[in-house]
Amino acid sequence: MSPASGPSPEVPASGAPAEAREALAEARALLADFPVVDGHNDLPWALRQHAGYDLDRLDVAADQTGRLHTDLPRLRSGGVGAQFWSVYVRSDMAGDDAVSATLEQIDCVDRLLARHPADLAPALTADDMEAARAAGRIASLKGAEGGHSINNSLATLRALYTLGVRYMTLTHNDNIAWADSATDEPGVGGLSAFGREVVREMNRLGMLVDLSHVAATTMRDALDTSEAPVIFSHSSARAVCDHPRNIPDDVLERLPANGGVAMATFVPKFVLPAAVEWTHRADENMRAHGLHHLDTSAQAMAVHAAFEESHPRPTATAATVADHLDHMREVAGIAHVGIGGDFDGTAFTPSDLADVAGYPNLIAELLTRRWSRADIARLTWQNAVRVLRDAESVARAANRPPSLATLASLDD
Amino acid sequence: MADLQHLPYADTAAFGEPDEPPPAEAPTPAAFDLERARVLLAAQLVVDGHNTLGQQLDHTHWQDLLYGSATLDTDLPRIQAGGVGAQFWSLHTAADTAPDVVSATLDRIDAVTTLIASVPEVLRLVTDADQMAEARDCGRIASILGPVAGAALADSLGTLRAYHALGVRSVTVAGAHWTATGLTAFGESALREMNRLGVLVDLSGATEETMDRALSIAAAPVILSRSAARALTDHPDNVTDAVLRRLRANRGVCMVSFAPDQVRHADQPASLWDVADHVEHVRALAGPESVGLAGSYGTASDAPHTIGLEDASCYPNLIAELLHRDWSEADIAALTWGNAARVMREAQSPPTAG
Repeated sequence: MSPASGPSPEVPASGAPAEAREALAEARALLADFPVVDGHNDLPWALRQHAGYDLDRLDVAADQTGRLHTDLPRLRSGGVGAQFWSVYVRSDMAGDDAVSATLEQIDCVDRLLARHPADLAPALTADDMEAARAAGRIASLKGAEGGHSINNSLATLRALYTLGVRYMTLTHNDNIAWADSATDEPGVGGLSAFGREVVREMNRLGMLVDLSHVAATTMRDALDTSEAPVIFSHSSARAVCDHPRNIPDDVLERLPANGGVAMATFVPKFVLPAAVEWTHRADENMRAHGLHHLDTSAQAMAVHAAFEESHPRPTATAATVADHLDHMREVAGIAHVGIGGDFDGTAFTPSDLADVAGYPNLIAELLTRRWSRADIARLTWQNAVRVLRDAESVARAANRPPSLATLASLDD
Repeated sequence: MADLQHLPYADTAAFGEPDEPPPAEAPTPAAFDLERARVLLAAQLVVDGHNTLGQQLDHTHWQDLLYGSATLDTDLPRIQAGGVGAQFWSLHTAADTAPDVVSATLDRIDAVTTLIASVPEVLRLVTDADQMAEARDCGRIASILGPVAGAALADSLGTLRAYHALGVRSVTVAGAHWTATGLTAFGESALREMNRLGVLVDLSGATEETMDRALSIAAAPVILSRSAARALTDHPDNVTDAVLRRLRANRGVCMVSFAPDQVRHADQPASLWDVADHVEHVRALAGPESVGLAGSYGTASDAPHTIGLEDASCYPNLIAELLHRDWSEADIAALTWGNAARVMREAQSPPTAG
């Protein structure tokens, strides 16, 4: 462990009320026993964009504050015990380009794990996660972000599973042929017949169905179809902040029956109502400069900075995220909440959750809101591990041959 | 030793009849040579370099392959009767040049690995030379995934590594645009990465320029998974004498194809005598340590086949012919198993791999 010099200001700095200081100390103690399983981190894409996957150029063993939200020292000080590394590729990629780029993302994670064996433990199962925790290593899993990564091919889905991918978000920001995205116009109206077959095949394999990013219609169709618990790898509550990336209450209400877990995200433009409007205008500005609105290159960040100069950015905090967790807990239940920060996948972060060192601030906030130690253990570690274990059980029980369905055979 | 008898029909010869009428002198090996060939093969099974059954799997159920297929030249009883102990399963697709070649290749990997998993009593997926020998010793046909088409790398070494992680152990370089003239800089880095990973570089079908460049930079033995001798039959997939001579120094292996177009003399129907001629030519130029076999089966039984080698059960006929030509048992053992197994081993621990 190295000195965490991340910019996450610890809310109760010296001189803060004793209660807050105690809460932070207790949060750290809790995280030592039940570290965070984070549902979504885009470090691989950041390494692709900023370093062309050259792990020497951007060495996560060193402090990368200012360049990345994520590095090993800050993961350690943030109390992270398991990370789903996203093997995201942009949703304007399609066909083989998306598949090949996804394989490169997987390769990046594998190389990262091979490079840092003392800190990062490859994990494929719930047992692997527990073993990593016992050994003091960060269990490292892979999640694909968007069905475009499988190019309408269940064989490609199976290849991703074989390569270690343990969840797939059904869509990213754009619709695909068999599923509707939350941030696109209605297409097939949720999941198509082939989309439902994708969900069943994921159930058979033991790959978690991730419903972040998908349209509410897709969420409902997936819940109707899935034999296994689903996850939301990085989504918060729509009732608290009305953004399509968040989860409506009627869907949260179904999680107890399904057994799934909704992992609250920190992205200000999804969790803070004032930031939703601000982001809308900032995105327009990016597009006016001919840039993709999710671009985080130096040039894009400069355009962002100029916009921010004239339009002060509303700031989210750990309390904003805690508001979502309070609501999600109330609607879905304590057994169905988790955390999915989306670090390195978003330009902006809450002020006291600025990077992966920030989780203790969120836990301290929840402690001050009278969350019990047992509640927090479920939020950080137990629920997510249980969900993967349950998905494994469903896969073992499925006992059916690989699906040979194609998009053409089911949807035409 | 491998139990060749534990399946029904294991002794059954060809199911299909070749379209071409047999020539006046159909090659019928002497019973004595055939018996010796079978004995030899029982001790040193065949490592076969090329089978395209993977392309047939969408419309072939594994049970047909397990119990015998009348429509294909390959099924498991006949592979076993042929004395095959290890098989490279080609992952080339009908879409090798199409925009979706990566997905199509993953689809073939899935189909072939699903087949292998469906018949664990016959096939076993292997990824190195030790596993090859172990599978053989357990009476299973060691199944090696490869080659994938060079174009299926999609110009991405990460994609190459993903194929490796999925078990693929050979890549055809021919046809990838980075082999258009010799090898581009990317082509060279792709070959070096294959060497580093222990993925065999398959030069069959490549231009002589590409073969020359590949042999110059190779840090491991290469293979030609399905090439006969260009000096005997002028076919683009065949290999020139100059390359065969270089193969000796590289310690690679040229696995002689049985495909009729690649072995026929002039306009004559191709027969196993022609294949024997090619095998002898390759041995003469590349040396007895650099010659192997590639049935090039995995097609419809009514597709053109070489007379005397109509299906995957026919290897003993060829071995009998080579015995008739006074091949030593040591050379035959090298031809069938030894050379390919050695190349697999050396490619996975090359002296200069980084």
